[in-house]
Amino acid sequence: MVDILDACLQGLIQLFTWKAFVLQLVGIAIGFLVGILPGIGGPVTLALMLPFIFQMTPVEAFSFLLGMTAVTATTGDITSILFGVPGEPITASMLVDGHPMAKKGEAGRALGAALMSSFVGAIFGALCLAIAIPAVRPLVLSVGSPQYFMFAMLGIAFLASLTGRSVVKGLVAACLGLLFALVGLDPISGTERYTFGALYLWDGIRLVPATLGLFAIPEIIDMAVAGTSIAKSDVGKIGGVLQGVKDTFRHWALVMRCSAIGTYIGIIPGMGGAVSQWVSYAHAVQSSPDKDRFGKGAVEGVLGPGAANHSTLGGAMVPTVAFGVPGSVSTAILLGAFLIQGLVPGPPMLTPEARGGHLSLTFSFVWIIVVSNIITTAICFLFLGKIARITQVRSTLVIPFILLLSYIGAFAENNAFGDVVVMLVFGALGWVMVQTDWPRPPLILGLVLGKLAEGNLFLSIDNYGLDWLRFPSVIALFALIVLGTFYPVFQRWREKRNKPRYKQLAELADHQTAEAAPVSIWPSIFNLFVVVLFAWALWQAWDWQFRPGLFPWVVGFLGVPLAFLQLNLDIAGAVKTIGRGLLRPRDQQATRLMRETAKISAWILGYFVAICLLGFSIAIAAVTFLYLKLAKERWVTTLALTFFAWISFYGLFAYLLHVPFPEGLLFAWLR
Amino acid sequence: MKPRIWLLPATAAALFLVAVPRAPADEFYNGKTVTFVVGFSAGGGFDTYTRLIARHFGKHLPGNPTVVVENRTGAGSLIAANYLYNQAPRDGTVIGNWIGPLVLQQVLGNKAAQFDGRKFGWLGVPTPDSGVCALTKASGINTMDDWFKSKRPIKIGGTAPGSTTDDVPRLLQTALDLPMKLVEGYKGTAKVRLAAESGEIDGGCWAWESIKPTWAKGLQSGEVHIVVQTIEKPNPDLKNVPLAIQYAKTDEARALLNIANGPYSQGARPYTVPPGVPQDRLELLQKAFMDTLRDPEFLQDAKKSQVDIDPVDGPTTAKLMAGLYELSPALKAKLSKLLIPGAQEKM
Repeated sequence: MVDILDACLQGLIQLFTWKAFVLQLVGIAIGFLVGILPGIGGPVTLALMLPFIFQMTPVEAFSFLLGMTAVTATTGDITSILFGVPGEPITASMLVDGHPMAKKGEAGRALGAALMSSFVGAIFGALCLAIAIPAVRPLVLSVGSPQYFMFAMLGIAFLASLTGRSVVKGLVAACLGLLFALVGLDPISGTERYTFGALYLWDGIRLVPATLGLFAIPEIIDMAVAGTSIAKSDVGKIGGVLQGVKDTFRHWALVMRCSAIGTYIGIIPGMGGAVSQWVSYAHAVQSSPDKDRFGKGAVEGVLGPGAANHSTLGGAMVPTVAFGVPGSVSTAILLGAFLIQGLVPGPPMLTPEARGGHLSLTFSFVWIIVVSNIITTAICFLFLGKIARITQVRSTLVIPFILLLSYIGAFAENNAFGDVVVMLVFGALGWVMVQTDWPRPPLILGLVLGKLAEGNLFLSIDNYGLDWLRFPSVIALFALIVLGTFYPVFQRWREKRNKPRYKQLAELADHQTAEAAPVSIWPSIFNLFVVVLFAWALWQAWDWQFRPGLFPWVVGFLGVPLAFLQLNLDIAGAVKTIGRGLLRPRDQQATRLMRETAKISAWILGYFVAICLLGFSIAIAAVTFLYLKLAKERWVTTLALTFFAWISFYGLFAYLLHVPFPEGLLFAWLR
Repeated sequence: MKPRIWLLPATAAALFLVAVPRAPADEFYNGKTVTFVVGFSAGGGFDTYTRLIARHFGKHLPGNPTVVVENRTGAGSLIAANYLYNQAPRDGTVIGNWIGPLVLQQVLGNKAAQFDGRKFGWLGVPTPDSGVCALTKASGINTMDDWFKSKRPIKIGGTAPGSTTDDVPRLLQTALDLPMKLVEGYKGTAKVRLAAESGEIDGGCWAWESIKPTWAKGLQSGEVHIVVQTIEKPNPDLKNVPLAIQYAKTDEARALLNIANGPYSQGARPYTVPPGVPQDRLELLQKAFMDTLRDPEFLQDAKKSQVDIDPVDGPTTAKLMAGLYELSPALKAKLSKLLIPGAQEKM
């Protein structure tokens, strides 16, 4: 016991040798920047920084690398909230409620809440790392292929039934996500599924471009159409930061529960932050009495993901340290760092130095996570007011930069041009989904979990036949899924019944005013498109073998009737609205909206064409310049911002990171 | 007659052109950038080797070019191989790193592989992968004899066809008629390890160089042991572990195991340049590659990263790959049934 406490203390002291501390600060600075920029995520940066650790001692190396990783999620949260563009793949869920808060003028409060809950989550995860290490083996080994499969189903069922006002729409969106997850080469059977013969699509649809498209593009369009700054209204004092901090403590139980969710999912290898953030978001919705607020700027929707995406790191370190099985992408690369440092994951990491182990180093991991989060949170709080003020800058100055970040972000993660196209396609889809009030999170989670579910289903069958269905843990998880899906329905029904009559009436009136929009056939057309898409997918999959075919069949057979049901609901709703005489004629406002939407869409597509023809470097300068100038910005502002955009692009991505940007087609033709 | 002054520089230029038909290879790299294109994402095994080599490569080429690494991921490095063959500049400034078995795939008729393995310029391989099968103590299989006698099929964890983890066990099973069930679909060897530790499967087959550092604990405690090597000569660490080839009874069995030894081991992680790189420049690159891999500073870094180095040079690699194009039609048919998904009914 004395050994352990001593190691714990030693771990802390080691951090404050000047070299280790300076390296940690450098790591934090890099992580800060990387987190803010979409596209270059934590894992890529870690890999790029690995060569630098050859000359370092273990403590220095991990101060540098772990410090860097620990903060990327924090600054990624900031990008998600302010711009509606996920700064990191693991901060995508943050924008569902965080960005609407920024639009309402509550950017400060959202940032405060995100930072504080992140901080709590990070510390929670780090503590779990310290405590859980001895107990981790059974915890990780208890999760086999059948349990993975059930976890994936649990996640999808939860989110689908919880987000948005319509359960049917949620389920259809989840099915859509599952369908998109099926795109690619099924390597086991060699079947190409929905790839249109393109080698690029063999690996399927990647998460980052899909998320960017689904969330960032609609945001850009919305901002341009509104023509105001990000924050559409100003709630007096921009700060509100303290309010956000208070929110964290007001919803203390939620933050703790989401931290626990994040840690647990982190411990299970292969799930990581991309999953934990959404599961905890779903939990935040599920545990709230008033679900309608979500998606429109509910602070709980910020607190949950904030806590979870930070506690995941501590969790993911547990299996990495304890037996060399990384819990996430970042920790997989950290494992490389272990090997470079000559450290062998496993019991030696948990044995005190006196007996030839590295326990104090393991404890220093805990302290690095804690210390770098303290530093980052402190720095962020210092500048939060200034950061939040970005939401007050007029949109014409912000839009070219968000576009730039989206295009580079989509490209740079995998250096694949196809990703840019995927972003645009999902951008269109995302915009339509926003217009027709479809929830997007289930789609993303379906995309994340689809492959995990399919792969582990077949592993379960190959390993156990159908016996795994009788495993107690599988049955327990199945019960949880049923409960999780139907409980909210039951809850809603009970609420309705218990509500006083006058409240019901008031709500009904509210509902009717909300419905008094011009009835449009477009939602039904989109719905029809979804029905046709599922039918087409099913038709394509008709003569596939059992193994590659099973998931497409299940998704198709669920998707077609569900989407058809929603189509009927849509049409019935429209008929009812017309019948009640609530029809509002198309007015000038609507015409203006359409014109503005067309305009910004043209810019987005034009940017893409420019990139194709001229290459990133020239296109960025040209489009940024033209956009600013045509938005009637002054010459000085235009030139300065264009230069800034270009130099930051060129300096960082092309020169420092050697991202291989493709040459413009025009130049290829000229040669 | 006026002196034709313009003739002077013209003659000089002409002379210059004659004397220097093109920059000799040893000046070519002055001020240039050499790009390593890795077919896998940053942080993985292939990327680790490449970044290590890239750190030292520049100083072994005359002109000391800048060296950068690019990750062009996708389709199990097929995108990188196709890019290198069809699109990359053919002047020796781009070097590719993708998995060797892709050449076999192309030979066996995988249409997506758009290259001819004989036309690449081969720089060499930093180390052969020593294919081995690791089984857990819980599997009850300690020796090859146990395995042959096993009443139940031994479950081997695989990732996807085309990779060592799947193709090598398949070759082994067919060559030796071992009781085995390949469970495919694990995401990487870490997941195979985990599944073996939890008892879901009995073990897996892949490179000893990767098993040694990552499964060190299991090997030390005796929870995991190496039962067989699928290579030609035993790995120096594994002198007492039998070779699969010792159990081969027919020529066909030997031919199949020879494939396991070839592209999956000797040529598993090759470095190539596109076709059409001038011969002198190719030779220069081949020499620089070997010089890098023997550089003491490089070896020190490699040792620190726990990366094994036992280089195979370019001409040897080229010969190995070209050999795949000489396989007999009967063997090709057998291999394609075995290794190309879709060419066979699922087991």
